[in-house]
This record gives sequence, structure tokens and C-alpha cells, in this order.
Amino acid sequence: MTTVIPFGPQHPVLPEPVSLKLEIDNDVVVGALPSLGYVHRGLEKFIDTKDYNQTTYICERICGICSALHGITYTKAVEKLFDAEIPERAEYIRVIVGELNRLHSHLLWLGLFADGFGFESLFYECWKYREEVLDVAERITGNRVIHSISKVGGVSRDLTKENIDMLLKMCDSLEPKIKDIEKVFVNNYTVKQRLVGLATMSKQLAYEAGTAGPTLRGSGNAIDVRETADWDIYKDLGFKTAVAKEGDCYGRTKVRIDELYESIKLIRNAISKLPNGDIATPIKGFPTGEAIMRTEQPRGEVVYYVKGNGTKNLERLKVRTPTFANIPSLLLMLPGVRLADVPIVVLTIDPCISCTER
Amino acid sequence: MMGMLNLVLTNISRKPATRLYPFEIREPFKEFKGRIVFDPGNCILCGICQKKCPPDAITVTKADKMWEINLFRCIMCTECVVGCPKDCLSISNERVKTGAKETVKVVVPIVDKPKAPKAASK
Repeated sequence: MTTVIPFGPQHPVLPEPVSLKLEIDNDVVVGALPSLGYVHRGLEKFIDTKDYNQTTYICERICGICSALHGITYTKAVEKLFDAEIPERAEYIRVIVGELNRLHSHLLWLGLFADGFGFESLFYECWKYREEVLDVAERITGNRVIHSISKVGGVSRDLTKENIDMLLKMCDSLEPKIKDIEKVFVNNYTVKQRLVGLATMSKQLAYEAGTAGPTLRGSGNAIDVRETADWDIYKDLGFKTAVAKEGDCYGRTKVRIDELYESIKLIRNAISKLPNGDIATPIKGFPTGEAIMRTEQPRGEVVYYVKGNGTKNLERLKVRTPTFANIPSLLLMLPGVRLADVPIVVLTIDPCISCTER
Repeated sequence: MMGMLNLVLTNISRKPATRLYPFEIREPFKEFKGRIVFDPGNCILCGICQKKCPPDAITVTKADKMWEINLFRCIMCTECVVGCPKDCLSISNERVKTGAKETVKVVVPIVDKPKAPKAASK
């Protein structure tokens, strides 16, 4: 006989409200039913009252953790409507801020994940390193978490010589620290006991379920929008997709740790290739037509659809966020998992409910 | 196993990563966007800052010659600072203090005196 128990919307491992109705047999999950809608704010409709420049700030506030990449993706989508040529320096600065964003998001996730399986000192260690990244981001952009650096036509702040030295210093100091925590996440006996073989998804299943981001790459699919989509700049920076073959929680953790190194490498390469010149081009007029832009957020691929109708307000803005794509995969992963492991499995998709519900 | 033990043992001998907040306050970075500062000297009450403001935090009332900002609504996007034609607005790296008043009202001194009678004659 099965019993249905609620998981969430308030749960110690969930920073945001999502409710899962778990059908359990003894203590093994046999089915899960999600219910969403606790933090819906109607942001896609709210843009009706704001012009297309002001919408950048609304898009950044869809999610607190991946805010920079929301803003960058939106501005790039609107620039497509204008067919605008953006200065190269602005694109490089966007990459640097985007990768800083990914660094702090992954360190935050690693910390929350460690907390999820009860490893408190590792949790504090990860968040301590995240603070260093946030300090640098604050000094570059002026804001701690919601950076607001990307605007339609370019970026709003330039990188100074001082900023660049600071970034390089942060990269040098962060790399050995990540190596330290990597040893714990990858080799520690206790951690491996909790993660290896938990909620395994095969390569084929992960692809067919339409998962995105580290959840997809943790199952051996080398698909990263940074490599495949129309933002060419990552190809020049020597980007390589991080993949793990395991397909379980352990594999997904490994992918995220590898992405930390990848982000540091991208920041270094972007600084070494940083061209001189303007940081923004003036954009006049009102947008018309439709455009789609895809970028890789810390949690996976985000898709922005914008439609302009020749007025200052956009006619339609549609966002497909990575967690929206990952929730179905969570429902496929959960059957067969023991109740005590459910929090860890829910965390491995890095759920961002504010993104999903907007 | 040794990896974490090393980290924990070195942390014991290190000083804390956090600060004793109310007693020890970190100075804000000079690049930090703390709050908007308004200098009414050159203001012409054009209202561009109000139009550009995404969260509608700024209100310009021409009749009362009043410039108002709601500090709790302001998101520090600095659209108004960039948009101001007379460079009246600037960013300060000082944070808004805890318990600050929600709105700051500034009376703008009349710059162009001859304009007032013209407007009256119309």
C-alpha cells in the first residue's frame, strides 16, 4: 500500500517554495507530483508598463542568482531586433560578468548541496569562497548580486586596470581553494556513500526528457549552449564543455566543479583578449519583429523570445528557464529513491523556482 | 577524508571569515552603488529622471518645484544619473542607513526667473 506525503513548499533544503507530493511505498518513492505557482509574479505581463530599456532590470529580477545572465540574454535578444553591432569590448565584459555569476552560483549550489547531505563545514567553506567572488563582482559592477551591467547596446560600466588586476588575483586565489573542496566532493568516503548511484539517469533518458545544463551533462551528453548557440564569443575563448559519464548525483556534482575551473579559464582568456574601444553603441528607435536568444545559465539553457511592435513597449516577452526543463527529469529520477535521499535529488537539478514561475 | 580534516584544522587557527557586524563595519567599496545623490543647483525640473526610472522611484512635481526619491524603491540602476542633462544626479558609495526615511524631498531653487511670469501670462 502506498502513502502520499507532501514535500515542501516549506522544507529546510529548499530555498524557494516548490511542493512535491511523494507517493511512497515503505520508504521508497514510487511516484511524484509537483505543484508550482507559489512565487508567480506575472513579470512577463508586467513589461507592458515599461519600455524596452527598463525591461532589462525586470528580467534581471526574475532570479537573484542567475540575474546577470538573464539581463545579458534579454539585451542580446533586443539587440537582434535592432540588428545592432555591439562593440567587442562590451561582449567580453558581458562574458566576464556572466562567468563571475556562474562561479558564485555554482559555489552557492555546492554549499547548499553539502548542507543537504549534512556536511556543514563544507557548506561554510563553499560560501566563504563565494564571498570572494561577490566582492569582486561588487567592485566591477557596483552591485553585489543583481549586477545590472548589461544594457541594450552594450554595458553600463567599463573594466578598469584595477578591476582586471583584481579579477586575475581572484582567479589565482580561488583555483587552489576549489581544488581543496573538489577533493572533498570527489574523494570523500562519506560524500561518495551518499551520492554515487543515486537517482541515475541514462544518457538517452536525459536527452529525451529534455533536461538542460549540468543535469544533462552529468549524464554524458556534451551539450552546452555556450558551444552551440549563436553567441560566438565563447568559441574564441577556448571553451570546452564539462561532461561526466556517471549520470547520478555524483556525476552532476562533478560537472559543476569542472565548470568552476572552466569559468576561471574563460575569465582569464577573456581578460587576455580584452580589446580596447567603446563599451556601448547608442540605439535609437523602437523594436519591431521577433527574435530568440539562447544562453547557458548556471542551471542550464535559457531561451528568451521577444516581439516588438514598433512602440517603446515590447508586445511579448517569453522566457523558458532551465528549471522548467529540469522538473520533468526530477519526476523521472525520483521513483526508486529512498525518502531520506529525496532532498539531495531535488537539489541536484539546482531548482530555481522563481525563474520557473516568473 | 584527510582533505576536509586539513581544511577544518587550518580553519581553527585562522581568524573568522565573518565580522562582528555592528561593532566592526566594512567600509563600502568606492565602486559600490550606494544611493543616488541629488544636487538641486542646476536642476531644470525636466522630469527625464522620472521617465527613465524603472521602478517609478523618482517623482518630479513642477508646480511645487519638488524633486522626490523613494529610497526603498530605488534599485540603483543609475538610469537617471546617465539620463540627467544637467548632471544633477550622482552616485554615492554610502549605503542607505538602517531606519532611514523612505522618501527624500528636495525643493529645487528657481533657476530661470523670467520664465515664471511668461507661464503666468499664458
